[in-house]
This record gives sequence, C-alpha cells and structure tokens, in this order.
Amino acid sequence: MKTATFRAEVAQQIERIGQAEIVVGIPSYNNARTIGHVVRAVQGGLAKYFPEHKAVIVNSDGGSIDGTSDVVHNASFENFNAIFLRHRVSPITKIVFPYMGIPGKGSAFHSIFEIAGLLNAKACVVVDSDLRSITPEWIELLVAPVLNGGYDYVSPLYHRHKFDGTITNSIVYPLTRALYGRRVRQPIGGDFGFSGSLARFYLGKDVWQTDVARFGIDVWMTTTAIANGFKVTQSFLGAKIHDAKDPGADLSSMLYQVVSATFELMETYHDVWMPIRGSEPVPAFGFEYTVGLEPVNVNTARMLIIFREGLRNLGEIWLNILGTGDFCEVERLGTLTDEEFHFPIGLWTRIIYDYALAFHKRALPIEHLIKSMTPLYVGKTASFILQAKDMGQQEADAEIEKLCMEFESRKDYLATSWK
Amino acid sequence: MENFLNLILDPLTGLLMKFKLFVPNFLAMLVILLVGIILALIIKHLLAKFLAAVNFDAWSDRKGFTRLMRKGDLWSKPSAMLGTLVYSLLVIITLMSGLSALQIPAIDHLVVQFFSYIPRILSAAMILIIGYMLSGFANRAVLIAAANSGFHSAKLLAEAIQTLLIVLILSMVMEQLQIAPSIVFAAFSIIFGGIVIALAIAFGVGGIDTARRIIEKEITKNGDEHPKDEIEHI
Repeated sequence: MKTATFRAEVAQQIERIGQAEIVVGIPSYNNARTIGHVVRAVQGGLAKYFPEHKAVIVNSDGGSIDGTSDVVHNASFENFNAIFLRHRVSPITKIVFPYMGIPGKGSAFHSIFEIAGLLNAKACVVVDSDLRSITPEWIELLVAPVLNGGYDYVSPLYHRHKFDGTITNSIVYPLTRALYGRRVRQPIGGDFGFSGSLARFYLGKDVWQTDVARFGIDVWMTTTAIANGFKVTQSFLGAKIHDAKDPGADLSSMLYQVVSATFELMETYHDVWMPIRGSEPVPAFGFEYTVGLEPVNVNTARMLIIFREGLRNLGEIWLNILGTGDFCEVERLGTLTDEEFHFPIGLWTRIIYDYALAFHKRALPIEHLIKSMTPLYVGKTASFILQAKDMGQQEADAEIEKLCMEFESRKDYLATSWK
Repeated sequence: MENFLNLILDPLTGLLMKFKLFVPNFLAMLVILLVGIILALIIKHLLAKFLAAVNFDAWSDRKGFTRLMRKGDLWSKPSAMLGTLVYSLLVIITLMSGLSALQIPAIDHLVVQFFSYIPRILSAAMILIIGYMLSGFANRAVLIAAANSGFHSAKLLAEAIQTLLIVLILSMVMEQLQIAPSIVFAAFSIIFGGIVIALAIAFGVGGIDTARRIIEKEITKNGDEHPKDEIEHI
C-alpha cells in the first residue's frame, strides 16, 4: 500500500489532535471564491448536529494560487444564534495542506483517507469546494446514517435540472445500476459520507498511482463500496448548485475520464456483476422537497451538427465497434431532420455495452475509443432534450427509469459477449 | 625439355592445389546453405505458429497494417508475409555466410559490405514500422478531436496530417538507407516547404474571409454564432 506523506507540521498537527470521530474532507484547487461558504456550512453543520463529537475539517489542496488556503484558514462560522445554537462543546480543528502525489481529485481524497485513518475517525464526509447550495444540514445527512444508522457509504440525492447531469443519467447511473444491481442515483455526485472502516478499506487498495488518483475517484468510491458488500444508502440533500465550470472544459475529456473509470471497474469486478440481474432500491434518508431550478440554455441544433459530423467522419470506427446492424440504425438517425430526431433507448443501451466490450477487448487505444463515443453521446443528449423539453421533472425522471430498465433487460447480451 | 614440361605442369599443379583447397570450402558452403535453409524453414514454421497463437493477423487488422499491405497490392495474410520476410532474410544471411566460406577476396569484400549494411536496414525498418504506427495514431487522434468539435472536413485534415508524417518518415528511411541522401533531403525540403506555402496561400488568399473570421473570433472571444450550452454533463 502506497501511503501519502505529510509535511512535518501537518504530521505534528495530526499527532496533537490524536483522535477524531468525524473528518470532513474538502478537496480544492483555486476555489477561493466558494470554499469559504463550504467551510462555514460544514462548521455550522458540525456545531449544530454533532456538538458532542470531536471533528476535524481537512482541506486537501492541489496547489492553488488564488489564496484558497488563506480563505479556509480565515473562514469561521460565528453566528451560532442563526442556527439556534447556544454553544459548541467540542472544538473543530482545521488541517490545511497541499497534497502530494499525482495532481488530481483522487490524490486529494487519498490524503483525506490517510488522515481519517490516522485520527481513527468513525465517520468521514467529502464535499466539493465549489458548492454554492451546501447547507449545514448536508453534514447531518451525510454523517448521521454512518454514525447512527450503521451504514458504510452515503451517496447524495439531489434535485437537478432535467437537462443536467446527462453523463450520469444516460451512462453512469443506468450502467452501474444494471451491473451491480443497486439503484444509487448519483454514483458520481461528488459529496459522500462513509465510515472509518470503509476509508481504511479504500486506503488498502493499490490504485493511487493509477487514473483513480487523477479522476474517476467518485465512481471508484461508489462502485468499490457496492461491489465489496458495504452497507450503502442515500441522503436527499436538495438542489446542487455549484460555481460555473471552466467553459473551456472539453466534453470529450470529461466523458473519457468518467467512462474509462467506469469501464475499468467492470474489469476489476467482472466476477461480481456478471451473475447479477435486475436491481433493488437503496434506502434513502432526508426529507424530499421540490426546489426551484434555474433554466438551462441548450442548443440542440449544434448538438445534432456534432452528431452528424461524427457519423460522417467516425463512421469506420463506429462500424468496427457497433457492428453492421446497429451502425445502420445510427446511419438512419443521421438522415432524420432536427424535428424528427429520436435516439432509441435500445440502440443507446447496445452502444454503451458494445463500447464496454470494445474497451474489454482493447479494440483501440482507450482514449481514442471513448472519445470516439462523444458525438453519439451528444446525439443521445440532444434526443433526450428534444423529447423532454415540455416534460415536467417527474416525466423526465420516468424516461431515465425506462432507460435503466432497458440496460437491465439487455444485460444478458453484455454478460454473454464478455470473454 | 624438362623446363618445357615444368612450364606446362606447374600451372596444372597450381590449379590442382587450388582446386584441392577450394573443394572443402565449396562443400562447407553447400553445408552452410543446406543447414541455413532448413533452419530458416523451421523458424518460418515456428514463427507462423507463434503469430497464429498471439492473433497477429487480428492485431494487424486493428493497427492498419493489413490495409497498408492491400494498398501495396500484397494479398497474403500479415503473419504469412512476416514469415516470408523473416525466411528471406535468413536465406540471404545464409547465402552470404556460405559465400564467405569460399574465402574469395572479392566475395569476402561484398559480404563484409552486406553485413555492415544490415544495421541500417534494421533501423530503417524500425523507423518505418514505428513511424507508420505513430502516423496512424496521429490520424485517429486528429480525426476524433476534429469530429468532436463538429469540424466538417475532419477526415481530410486527419488524412493530410498522416500523409505529411508518412512523407517525413519515408525521407528518414531513405536517409537511413543512404539512398541518394542529398536528393532525398532536397526533395523533402521542396515537398514539405511547398505544402506549407500552398496551405498558407490557400488559407491566406483563398480563405481570406475564413481567416478574418477566425482572427476576429480569437480577438473578441465572442464570435460563436451559436448560443452557449449551459448543460452540466456530470
């Protein structure tokens, strides 16, 4: 097991603290604008809901140059009256340090797991540092199922705009659900709670020099917990609103990071997912309520141009991966007008399974393989947006449910083709 | 009279002596050729089995070698082709070794030249194989990146880049084999320089409006006629 190394002052600080029941990890990289709010919400949550527990906030930073660490040091929740709190019994310590190792969210988490292990934490939470909608209640909802409910892993449940989270909705959720038989709605949500024993289990895995250290940590944590039989639950956190993402962020790179991590886990746990058929719900905590969501601008015409250009230019690659039958169906989609365009869920399911099989057989270099899926994904997303534009949230959710059922019903094809 | 006889017999004796010396060398050459060819056949057979076991033909299909062979009008299987290549190389080496057994200075010189040329052939072959694989990789990378950006002529761009790389690789191979290096250098410079100038003229003159649009878009960062998507994909 490769362990993270801490600087002397961090090691001394951990030694001084000795032991903590709750560790809240916040990975960051140039999040000075938002991390102050996140730290205050965490402090408020710990003070209000876990006043008797010794807690530590860990900021694992990737070398920010915008003063993120200073903001964390200075952030302090003092208006306890606002949350109807008289006083806090146990102090909340902050450990702020730049993590070492491969740059990436996974390495930041590795350091947080290490500290949780050293402090012998009973419950851990990780939350993103760019959250604008986090409230103190998130901490209760992510920690309480572990401390009081005996669960090992708490996955988030959010209300999101029906057009948001399309990689989750059209690939990661249906696929992980069909593979591992558990309906974890936000497997790559980014805000999780987990037990100390699961943190130690994660630490024992020798993945910290792989792509898990860079990206894919979210799906890795969820899948590892499910596939290894840990008790998994979900908590409804409300709306997820975070800082605007880098507009230059490349969609195909994002797709590559998430999908390659998911496919790689299929290799690791093929013995686990192979015999599973169907799925079962995962219990959920929290009081579900409706939230107002900001409208989302979408340009489906441009998305369909990308799909058609993909078909024109990547046809040979798609033909090799999908086979003649499904490729002909994709070709037929290319002839439809914008108004007629509809991507059948059966076809989409077979495409994802065929890509998983091509990944398994290493039919192409992995990055090329998964990036070649981008126009197909964009076409599927455009189709969903066109279909769901007049739908309410529940109807849109019902469409996602139909897709999940399609993934489950066609799993035999994946299992029998996997050699 | 005795002198006269000596004049006739001495060359014959010399010839006989030379023949006596040549025969064992000739026999050695025959043995070397026989053993070498048998060994080459065995190696070819074993190689064919090995390549079949590691699915070399399927790998060649994926890497584009099969397509390259078909373009060159070679219709045998890639594994059979590689087997024939290795066999031919072994036969040539055997032939050279056999000829050197004759111990004839002119042939010896030729053999030395041949063996000193082998490293160049091998390094040229390596450059060709690795270069071809890299050019295929670059082709696919450019094709996928351009297609994902919605670029209309992605295939053309990818093919153009691969062709340029192949021209570069072939020049390196020719240079390595020392085949008219000065001509290769000049030809490469002319072709490469010509392509760059042609592209510059085509883009700067023929595509002046496109060039202006790209520059304006770069300066204003506001040139996209399509409204931005606000979808959070993850």
